[in-house]
Amino acid sequence: MIYKVISKSEFTAFIDAIVKANNAYGPRRVDSDRNGEPIYKFMPVASADEIAFDYTATHFSAKQFFLPFREELSHFSFDEQDNWEQHIRYEAPPTLLFGLRPCDISAVNILDDVMLRGPYPSPYYLARRRNTFIIGMDHLPLPDCFCKSMNRHTVSHGFNLFCSDIGDSYYLSINSSKAFTFLKEFELRNPTPEDDCLLIERRKLIKQSFLTNIEVTGLPLFLDIEFDSPIWEKWGDKCLNCGTCAMVCPTCYCYSVEENFDIDLKGSSRHNRLYSCNLVDFAEVAGGHNFRPRNGDRLKYRYYHHYRGFSANDNQQICVGCNRCGRACLAGINPKDVINDLRLERETCKTGDSPSPNRT
Amino acid sequence: MQDGRFTLPEQDLNREPFAHRPPDFRQKSEVMITDRGYKCRITNIVPLSVHERLFQLRIVDPAERELFRFRPGQFLMLEVPGYGEAPISISSSTSNREFIELCIRQAGHVTSALFEAQPGALVSIRGPFGTSFPMESMQGGDVLLVAGGLGIAPLRAPLYWINDHRDHYRDVRFLYGAKQPSELLFTYQFDEWKTVSHIDLHAIVERPDENWKGRTGMITALLDDIAIDPENTWAIVCGPPLMFKFACSHLDGIGIPMNRMFVSLERRMHCGMGKCCRCMVGSTFTCLDGPVFDYWSVINLKEAI
Amino acid sequence: MKHLGFERSKVRVGSFDFTCCEGCQLQLANKESTLPEFLALVDIRNFREISSERHDDYDIALVEGSITRSDEVERLRKIRATAKVLVAYGTCACFGGVNSLKNRLPQEEVVREVYDGKKVETMPSTRIADIVKVDFSIPGCPVSKEEVERVVVSLVNRSLPTLPRYPVCVECKQRLNTCLFDLGEVCLGPITRAGCDAVCPSGKSACLGCRGPADDLNFRSFTDLVRDNGLSTEEMLEKLRFYNGFADQLGHEES
Repeated sequence: MIYKVISKSEFTAFIDAIVKANNAYGPRRVDSDRNGEPIYKFMPVASADEIAFDYTATHFSAKQFFLPFREELSHFSFDEQDNWEQHIRYEAPPTLLFGLRPCDISAVNILDDVMLRGPYPSPYYLARRRNTFIIGMDHLPLPDCFCKSMNRHTVSHGFNLFCSDIGDSYYLSINSSKAFTFLKEFELRNPTPEDDCLLIERRKLIKQSFLTNIEVTGLPLFLDIEFDSPIWEKWGDKCLNCGTCAMVCPTCYCYSVEENFDIDLKGSSRHNRLYSCNLVDFAEVAGGHNFRPRNGDRLKYRYYHHYRGFSANDNQQICVGCNRCGRACLAGINPKDVINDLRLERETCKTGDSPSPNRT
Repeated sequence: MQDGRFTLPEQDLNREPFAHRPPDFRQKSEVMITDRGYKCRITNIVPLSVHERLFQLRIVDPAERELFRFRPGQFLMLEVPGYGEAPISISSSTSNREFIELCIRQAGHVTSALFEAQPGALVSIRGPFGTSFPMESMQGGDVLLVAGGLGIAPLRAPLYWINDHRDHYRDVRFLYGAKQPSELLFTYQFDEWKTVSHIDLHAIVERPDENWKGRTGMITALLDDIAIDPENTWAIVCGPPLMFKFACSHLDGIGIPMNRMFVSLERRMHCGMGKCCRCMVGSTFTCLDGPVFDYWSVINLKEAI
Repeated sequence: MKHLGFERSKVRVGSFDFTCCEGCQLQLANKESTLPEFLALVDIRNFREISSERHDDYDIALVEGSITRSDEVERLRKIRATAKVLVAYGTCACFGGVNSLKNRLPQEEVVREVYDGKKVETMPSTRIADIVKVDFSIPGCPVSKEEVERVVVSLVNRSLPTLPRYPVCVECKQRLNTCLFDLGEVCLGPITRAGCDAVCPSGKSACLGCRGPADDLNFRSFTDLVRDNGLSTEEMLEKLRFYNGFADQLGHEES
């Protein structure tokens, strides 16, 4: 890692050059919500003017650049002799992602663990990951961000370049030779002690700006103990089973595999499709038995995955605290309330002064 | 205006950001890293019951055939081109290097397509995947195999294994139950298992027909029939969740240690590689950490039964 | 062409319309890019929008429209007796469709309003499945050609087609659309069966539920959501009744 400082005007020139020369995506304002607040999304950008440098948070995560919602895994071509050949491709054009937040980059790091660290690394994911150039930017949290609780408000790897706003300049963490080569063409300076101070101040400010905190220590144990808790049914009763939370989540990666014949019958395509454990048939097996028939079962399972973790994933919590799911949920379900409810459930039960209902 | 100096190169752009932990493609299997499968020809189809058939497959390429080795209890992903994949446990002998046998129930989209296929058709397999029964650890002990209905499919490989290494094991018992006599599979092999493999085989049905001469009742009734030496018995139980729950708690009751009882769980796997999460039970992947679990792990898994 | 050792033969198709706009049939004749391949899969025996030939030896009957007259009931029963597989396609056939709006008024009043008192035989708009057994339904107003193609391809390959069981939200989010609720609209996406690739919300118009209910939808939570978004019960019912796709839920709710 090399640290440099760049003035904001020079930085804009750098971004403009790199965005123009590549297949680039960055945050853009796409809509205003009913209260007039801007809605941002990662969209193709052709110049620095199109980028919303001061954006708050995007509605969708950046995961689809690594895990497309639908991706062909292989194609079969059938011949006249009733034989077939299987064709597999995993290619990805070089892509530039600008403006990812620390939580977004942490999410990509988590996906790296899931997709590349197991016994069967995914070549499809690897192709995209290798060919994606990530420029991160820090930001002041929104009132409902809780990435600090998940310890994902800072990030130390997984990006090519990371920019911290220190007033008139950006403090750059350069984490790849390619980024360094690009930046050589621009006016950089070595950080002065004042710059270092400004960076530390900036970090402090970010840390202190979190308004939402969730206590996640010991949560795996809580989740195990509360497996049959009535709170799952309570939140499950609200859940619309619509899968929105999983679609906007930066780390939800569960998928289904489907295969379809080509319309000319001369081939077929096997593809995956990002799915959600909240969807009704996620845990259904051939013959129709559903291992998670109720809303509450499925909702619980998503929390289980996010806050307890999976064995194959070293039991690490995969939530990064971006609260995109909470903001997007039409039924008003969000991690903060569900987890607090879960903890409360346990605590009242312990003291015994307010026994919870349905618990006899 | 585009400036070529700032264009990202085509290949291997990004070793750096995560180079401190490079993925190791050779860790487990040199061949099965992708979605590419082994092409197989269906060499024979044996009807076993109304809904179940035994499919005999032969890997077309001799080199691939040589590479394909599996352990008792493992499964593979069977691809029926055009229709998709389904996880199927391997029912043949691990020492049979020429053919792979799969006992398949017509239950879903893929298996229905397979039932349309004719001998000679070409399908594809990926695998083997998952954990297996620890046949070596069982050496010197008694082995008790308990199967309900289609649960016999993953037990055929350990039965063959025991036949191949019969002198490694002491008493071997096989208890097999089904709803009705017509649902008992592989009845044509019963005599072979009894006389050649010296396996003490008992079958039971819940609803007998007029020709049924054997025992009637639940599988647990057979457990009462036999004397079990809990200190030296290893159990393999396979069947519907309710059945193995009863069977295992019975065996637990007579004192077989939980880590010497093995069950094979069934879930709908889509990838077989610990990614898609469709087969998760609690926090565990059936495809990676299973399908064979010891009973201690199973009772620790939420939503397993 | 043989596949897996069995012969895949063309399916003999008849398409029949009842009370409808024939928009779904037209949809099948559309999409020129795959029309030759689609026609190669099927042997058209009876299809007004495609061919002038009329034969009664079809295996698959595609039935469009809802039933609103007694002679239609007779005709439909004959089709059912001939066809091996009967597919109801389009929202009218599957749910009664827009035609069902008239079911809410006295039939005499409807006739007086539309036909100026002329004597016209009519009965409440009824979905196909209420009269004969339906083997498969393809909802949509109009149907999506891709889905019909997929179903026909499945039948040619002797496989059972399936519809998505989850709601439109999944596809809408996968197309990275801004949620219409965020823009202050009320959309039926959260309870409507997916498969349309969220075509309406992608064009910023709210889903009206032409594909009917998704599996295991949470109707109570949805009504709470609609109320929180400022719609009265009457306004919500208006939306839900538009295609008559949610008759089962409404019946349950109102009883």
